[in-house]
Amino acid sequence: MKTPELVVSTIPHVHGGNSVQKMMINFMIALLPAAGMSVYFFGPGAIVVIAISVVSAVAWEFIIQKVMGRPLAISNLTGAASGLVFAMMLPPTAPWWMICIGTFIIILLGKEVYGGLGNNPFNGVLIAWLVLQMSFRGEMAGWIYVAGEFLTESTPLEILKFEGLESIPEYFTIADLFIGRTTGFIGEVSAIALLIGGVFLIVRRVISWHIPVSFMIGVVFLSGIFWLMNPEECADPIFHLLAGGVFLAAFFVATDMPSSPTTPIGMLTYGFLCGLVTMVIRQWGAWDDGAFYSVFLISMLTPLLDKIKPKAYGR
Amino acid sequence: MQFPEYKDPVERKGEINNMKVGTFPGGLNLGSIASDTSTFHEVPSSGTVIIPLKQYSGKACEPAVKKKDEVKVGSIIGESTGNDDASVHATVSGVVTNIFKKYPDMKGGTVPAIEIESDSKNELDVTVFEGTDIELIQKAGVVDLDIDAVPLHSKIALAKEKSVNTLIVNGVDVESQFSSRAVLLSEYAGEIAAGIDIISKLLGVTSVHIGVIEKASSAISSISSACSTAQVVGLKDKHPQSLRELLVKAILGKEIPQGGIPEDIGVTVISAETALFVARAVNDKKPVIERFITVAGGGLSKSKNVLVRIGTPIKEVLDYCGVSVGGAGKVIIGGPMMGTAIHSTDMPITKETTGIFVQNENEIAEFPSGVCIKCGLCIDICPMKLMPFLISGLSEAGKYAMAEKNDIHGCNECGCCSYVCPVLIPMVHWIKFGKSEIRAQRSSE
Repeated sequence: MKTPELVVSTIPHVHGGNSVQKMMINFMIALLPAAGMSVYFFGPGAIVVIAISVVSAVAWEFIIQKVMGRPLAISNLTGAASGLVFAMMLPPTAPWWMICIGTFIIILLGKEVYGGLGNNPFNGVLIAWLVLQMSFRGEMAGWIYVAGEFLTESTPLEILKFEGLESIPEYFTIADLFIGRTTGFIGEVSAIALLIGGVFLIVRRVISWHIPVSFMIGVVFLSGIFWLMNPEECADPIFHLLAGGVFLAAFFVATDMPSSPTTPIGMLTYGFLCGLVTMVIRQWGAWDDGAFYSVFLISMLTPLLDKIKPKAYGR
Repeated sequence: MQFPEYKDPVERKGEINNMKVGTFPGGLNLGSIASDTSTFHEVPSSGTVIIPLKQYSGKACEPAVKKKDEVKVGSIIGESTGNDDASVHATVSGVVTNIFKKYPDMKGGTVPAIEIESDSKNELDVTVFEGTDIELIQKAGVVDLDIDAVPLHSKIALAKEKSVNTLIVNGVDVESQFSSRAVLLSEYAGEIAAGIDIISKLLGVTSVHIGVIEKASSAISSISSACSTAQVVGLKDKHPQSLRELLVKAILGKEIPQGGIPEDIGVTVISAETALFVARAVNDKKPVIERFITVAGGGLSKSKNVLVRIGTPIKEVLDYCGVSVGGAGKVIIGGPMMGTAIHSTDMPITKETTGIFVQNENEIAEFPSGVCIKCGLCIDICPMKLMPFLISGLSEAGKYAMAEKNDIHGCNECGCCSYVCPVLIPMVHWIKFGKSEIRAQRSSE
């Protein structure tokens, strides 16, 4: 009998079949409820924004990788996922040229300039969002007012900041905030849709629970202190949790893998600090919402937070 | 003398349901392959066997036979002289046809080996072993039949020196795809219980625990009725529960200090097969000439449990089980997560063989290694609570001092991190590489 040829290699001899592509597919599926709610409230404008964002992100990724002479990595879908989450952070009236500038920044300054996915120190989506927020202030506040559905064309946090706590009940109930019957960035308005997507991500273990939970604890903690000290002027923790971008930031933005810590204690600290800084910006800052900006600031601490190692077995 | 209180089966079943269930953080549930039998098939003895003179951790025995000597089943062909070797016996009757000075060892390097051509009579050697229990164990060549096979008499000596007070019997199969240990526990519960008694008497231990996978219910019920002195602990079916570090963690809740052995915290871990062979060595004066293993994979829809004579070439076992290695496949000694891929199916079954897993060409996993995206899955899964991506990255970059600072020696090479990695980094490979480089640096100093 002839001995068969055998392959020899190191352990393990099997693989679970997980891949970046699968994780990104799950990530995009998790954003579908929020995208659906935005289309329901804001109409076809939201679809256009989402489509331009996703398509342009993939196109830029293709062009930039070709120009840089890198192997094409479009098929891992990180470009498409970045485009989708970026669309969630844009107003429903965002012009096409602004979206294209944003996605160009995501791919070039957020990812490829550092050597591709995994080597980026910051979340590219946040870099792009901040550039647009600072460069095109007017376009980034292009809210849609839906007659009959909405009572105001301002976002809940703008009302809180510029009109005061007492005007909020005139326009919104807690249920409105929860379902998303307010204006704002297209993906951030519906807390319930984001919660469904976020739980899906945790169940499929694309993200772990540490960052979203500690993010929300951070928000509730600081807003609770403000509220207890001054209930006449400060909104309660539930309002702060549901209004603005806390749910979107906690589940989909802060959990960006390369720019967030990897260890359990690191992730808890990171999330909690994000929550605190969000509330600091809302309370004392010039911007009405600090959810996204806080994530960008705290992600600078990631290399430091990664030093907090879990206690090894037998140590 | 006290008899255990009589309990009817229903009551006993309740007791099993209330059984203490242990586990450890991290790890993977890999599921298991269905087994086709509840007992062992005996693989018929072959024409020629090759018996390595080192089938354990330690040094090789001196050959006790010459070329053209006649041997019978159970004749000593390599005699144990000290604490770091175990006797080796002929497993067929026939003539010694060759004594190899250098035969490839599964764990790397070479070992002397003896080739015996069988006369297919299988005559038994009638020489009777004499001596105390521990001498009988040494003469019968009993080793701890687990991933690292330590000669049992030296293990017992070490345990006495370290005044061990707890014995853990490992009834968990080396990997989830195997079922030989669970079947052994339900089929040979009486002999295993007798072996456990002998070992615990030799060690003078006060508490004995038997760890069995929770869902192996027939194993649990037969061993708990056969062995009244030991506490049977059900364990969650998770890889790598069979490793001693995690058995100690799951059963006793203690941790072995890094780089240490269970004896450091007063615990000895032996496998269930070891107890069986101890009972045979002491009560029946029989040497270890066979092994109970599982053969899985390679197109078998159900795994097979077989009883194989030591020295049988692996290809005969595979032929018997009807396994084909299609194309350029992989034959793995041990399971798919922690086993060693071998280069030739002419290699013999030894006391160190824990099972055989076969992969066809299209089932082989490849690890082309992408860029780490810091998803944290490996940290989440690591049963030793390490940061696998960091240690493997440091080893890859040649930063061995930093890798040591990040507990590279705490890794027990279970393979979980590479299994879950979305960018297919061969982390275990880099960690093993780093460890061997550190060893080489130390030995050159």
